[in-house]
Amino acid sequence: MTNLIRAELQKLFTTRLWWAMALVMLALTSLGLVFLITTAGAPAPNGQPALPALDDPAWLPLALSNANGNIFTMILGIVLMTGEYRYQTITGTFLTTPKRGRVIAAKLGAGVIIGAFFAVVSLLFTAVVAVTAVLIGGGAVDLTANRIPQLAVGVLATMILYALFGIGLGALVRNQVAALIGGIVWAFVIESVLSSFPALQTVGKWLPGGAAQALMSIDFDTGLGESNLLPAWGGALVLIGYALLFAVVANLTTTRRDIT
Amino acid sequence: MTAIEIRNLSKSFGAVRAVDDVSFTVEAGTVTGYLGPNGAGKTTTLRSLLGLVTPDSGEALVNGRRYAGLDHPLNEVGAVLEATSFHPGRTARDHLRIMTTAAGLPASRPDEALEQVGLADAARKRVGGFSLGMRQRLALAGALLGQPKIFILDEPANGLDPAGIQWLRGFLRHLAHDTGAAVLVSSHVLAEVEQTVDNVVIIAKGRLVRQGSLAELTGNGGGAVRVKTKDDFAPALRAAGAEVEEVEPGVLKVRGLDAEEIGRLALDQRVLLTEVAHERSDLQSVFLELTGEGAGA
Repeated sequence: MTNLIRAELQKLFTTRLWWAMALVMLALTSLGLVFLITTAGAPAPNGQPALPALDDPAWLPLALSNANGNIFTMILGIVLMTGEYRYQTITGTFLTTPKRGRVIAAKLGAGVIIGAFFAVVSLLFTAVVAVTAVLIGGGAVDLTANRIPQLAVGVLATMILYALFGIGLGALVRNQVAALIGGIVWAFVIESVLSSFPALQTVGKWLPGGAAQALMSIDFDTGLGESNLLPAWGGALVLIGYALLFAVVANLTTTRRDIT
Repeated sequence: MTAIEIRNLSKSFGAVRAVDDVSFTVEAGTVTGYLGPNGAGKTTTLRSLLGLVTPDSGEALVNGRRYAGLDHPLNEVGAVLEATSFHPGRTARDHLRIMTTAAGLPASRPDEALEQVGLADAARKRVGGFSLGMRQRLALAGALLGQPKIFILDEPANGLDPAGIQWLRGFLRHLAHDTGAAVLVSSHVLAEVEQTVDNVVIIAKGRLVRQGSLAELTGNGGGAVRVKTKDDFAPALRAAGAEVEEVEPGVLKVRGLDAEEIGRLALDQRVLLTEVAHERSDLQSVFLELTGEGAGA
């Protein structure tokens, strides 16, 4: 199985997609950080500060939650699976490993490593920029306070689980474009609506996006009312449940399909 | 042990019976040509053999086992399917490295296999820029990675230039006759494999039409005898059980009797023959005759 997981990692790192994805992720993270830094402490129209100031201990956790690039690990997960069908490399993959369940398992294993790798890159980048900003802004940095460790672990777990989510989705849908569009629309539009508004969170908290928020315990007051999310461990369980469900369904379908 | 064994294999896609009760075997040390027009069921047979397609009934075995049950498939079977199954952004060497890693083979194998198929110079080039012929060679390199003793190749000559086809013929013969491998190679173009194969299996519309050694299929057994005579010889031939066709006045095409039997009959009947010759139908005409269409020639 170690060999198969290594082969799956080679598949990703021998094409150019991974670093393009890493660059886009860091670019978007930078945009978010620029926004958070420039609007830190700026008063909202009604006179209340909309966002904590740079020297406010609440700012750093906010900046760190911006490191979450789950959309990118989801895309990588989708491509890791659907790319095999798009370029018909699935034929060679199943010839090398005819026990197809092992291929899906290896991809999930590789997804954990890829998700963790991207999370660490994003977290390190964000931490360096955000800590620098706080120090320049005259604040004190305590990386053990304000739920920062929990946030970091939350980002790591979320990005890993979204990679697995993408693999499961890709195995199920197989058509790369359809899986990508479906995944992105789901994550950006449907989920963000269902998990942002507390009134809809009764549904949203059971979806991957709501579960991810619960995992990181992001319950900043957005002015829309009190959040209705699962506890952090509940969020983790929901995400793992989705990944497993997709993997099992994918396994049941791909193992039975003819490759013609 | 029989290297490749297909036993009563049937597979339908929807209403189309792609393969219909096909059986044949391939022994070690021989090259078997699997011939038939496009759409005859060759690819479906080979994909069933490789565990990519699940047959409706019957069995397709390598070394007596189902491919899907093999623990180290690349060490037992080398397969070349269509030449499009590569990621265009990946280099030739990386493509082979991934297979090598997954199969747990020595890290030296990709370079050795590329050398063997004459692709060493293009090892670090992206497959997207490869010609069809180069892709075929790369696919063959993949089949060689595990140094197997069974090769299954689907239309490997597609896209090769005449020099490439020449090279492939020599290579397949070398694999079978020098290393003792069992080679099963499909083609819809007879001329490509005619000089390579020891045995021939012909399939058309999903059904096995004929199988045998190349000698059996090209030799006297399958052909007719051309007889020239000014006498009225046809009734006597028919009486002796032959099938007679008058090709042109005074020229008969006779099946069911060989030249010696025809000569003896002529002697008995006091018929003067001016010519008795086996129509040495080469495999091509056998192929066209048996498959009943000119497709693919």
